[in-house]
Parts: sequence; structure tokens; C-alpha cells
Amino acid sequence: MQRRKFLSLVGLGAVAATVAPAALSATDWRKEKPDAWQAKTVDSAIKAMYGDKPVVEGDITVTTPDVAASGGAVPVNVKSGIDAKSVAIFQDANPESAVIVFDINKYSIINYDVKMKLKSVGDPITVTCIVEGKDGKLYSGKRTLDVALGGCEG
Amino acid sequence: MGAIKVKPKLKNGIVKVKALASHEMTTFDMMQKKTGNRDDANYIEHISASVNGEVVWEASTSQFLSKNPIFKFQFKGIGAKGDKVVMTWTDRKGKTGTGKGKIK
Repeated sequence: MQRRKFLSLVGLGAVAATVAPAALSATDWRKEKPDAWQAKTVDSAIKAMYGDKPVVEGDITVTTPDVAASGGAVPVNVKSGIDAKSVAIFQDANPESAVIVFDINKYSIINYDVKMKLKSVGDPITVTCIVEGKDGKLYSGKRTLDVALGGCEG
Repeated sequence: MGAIKVKPKLKNGIVKVKALASHEMTTFDMMQKKTGNRDDANYIEHISASVNGEVVWEASTSQFLSKNPIFKFQFKGIGAKGDKVVMTWTDRKGKTGTGKGKIK
């Protein structure tokens, strides 16, 4: 390799290394996958987020109340022991499907609680949790619940 | 301003954090009804937590989290009693809010 070329490569590497810690360590899902947040169905949101990969059932526990009295703040817990890169939560009641994507780092324990808004659609609502494993596979866990009063009517 | 209340607790080597972010979290549909302008919607798009400068938890979020959303999460391998967990959110309009709490 030519010396000049080699040096410029080293230079670039050094710049990248000094910039990286200041920026966020993981993926900015909103910037990198803008389509995923617009997707109207769970399946298309998963595809936009992770690509067209098969989804298998995995060791994921999704916990919600059986019936949420108010859709304004529905507590949802997801737990998994899978060695993962990211964890995403989707639902099929609101106009768009994606709710939240967690980035996994070396300190992470997959046991997250969030409160989400769910629209009351009359039918049972399915909350889907997708875990992107380090093995490149997509795992899913699901939970179905009823919402008595919607949370998006505001 | 306490944009986020952060309560971390250390037990058996695991730090459990409860956080409450103060934010209206309005959706596109809500603002359409209220002001007629969907673009008035504002919600937290990204939220993270760090200890001693290292990111321990982060998430990209949508309009479908509740108003003043509560997050609970855990991490291990970093953080001693007295260390601070610092959390920051960024919303759709580019505003940021931070909060911190000492690990107990």
C-alpha cells in the first residue's frame, strides 16, 4: 500500500475515533429508519425497521393488563433473555405501529416498562415485541388486551 | 428544571431506574383536532441515560407514549451508590430536557 494512502486512512480512523464518543453510541432509529415510524401495520413497520426477515417466536414475555381502563397510559413490560442488539415494541390500534425501539449495550438488561397510548378500536389490541438477536434473527413476543377508553382522542 | 425525575436504586449488583419525563407528548391526530395543524404535534423522539459518561440505556420513541411517560429499566456492570444517572430527552421540535438522580 502506498504510504500516503495508508496515512490518510489512519488519519480518518483517528478522527472517527475521537468523534464517536460524543455522538450516541448506537443507531438513531428515527433518522436511519424514517419509514418504519410511518408504517401503518405491524408487519410493514417491522420490515421497514429490520428488513424482510422471517420472524420466529422467541423467549420474550410481554405483560400488560388484560383490560386497560384508559388507553391514555397503558403499562407495558417486556422481558427477554435473548442476547440482543435492539428491542422494539409495536401495536395495531394506533394510526402508526411503531412505539419505541431500545438500543442494547453491554450494560443492558432486557426488562423495560413503558406507558403507551392506545386507541380504543373495539377489537382486542395486540402488542408485539420484536427482539433483534445478535445472531441476526428476529424474535417476537405478543400480548393481546382490550382498551376500554381510547387514549388518542385527546 | 426537572424535565426528568430520575430515581435509581442499586440492589444485588443491578441498578433499577424509575424515570418520569415531563412532556405533553401530543400526537398528530390530537393536534389536528385541537389546532388544525398536524405539524404542531410534539413528542419525545429520543431518550437516553448515562452513568459516568457511558450510555447505559437509550431508546427512540414515537408519539404513542403516554403524556409524562414513565420509563423503568435496569442495567448492570456500571454504577455505584452515589454515582449519578443522567438522563436526556430530545423532542420533535429539537428541544432537550435533562434530569439526574443519585444511585441509592
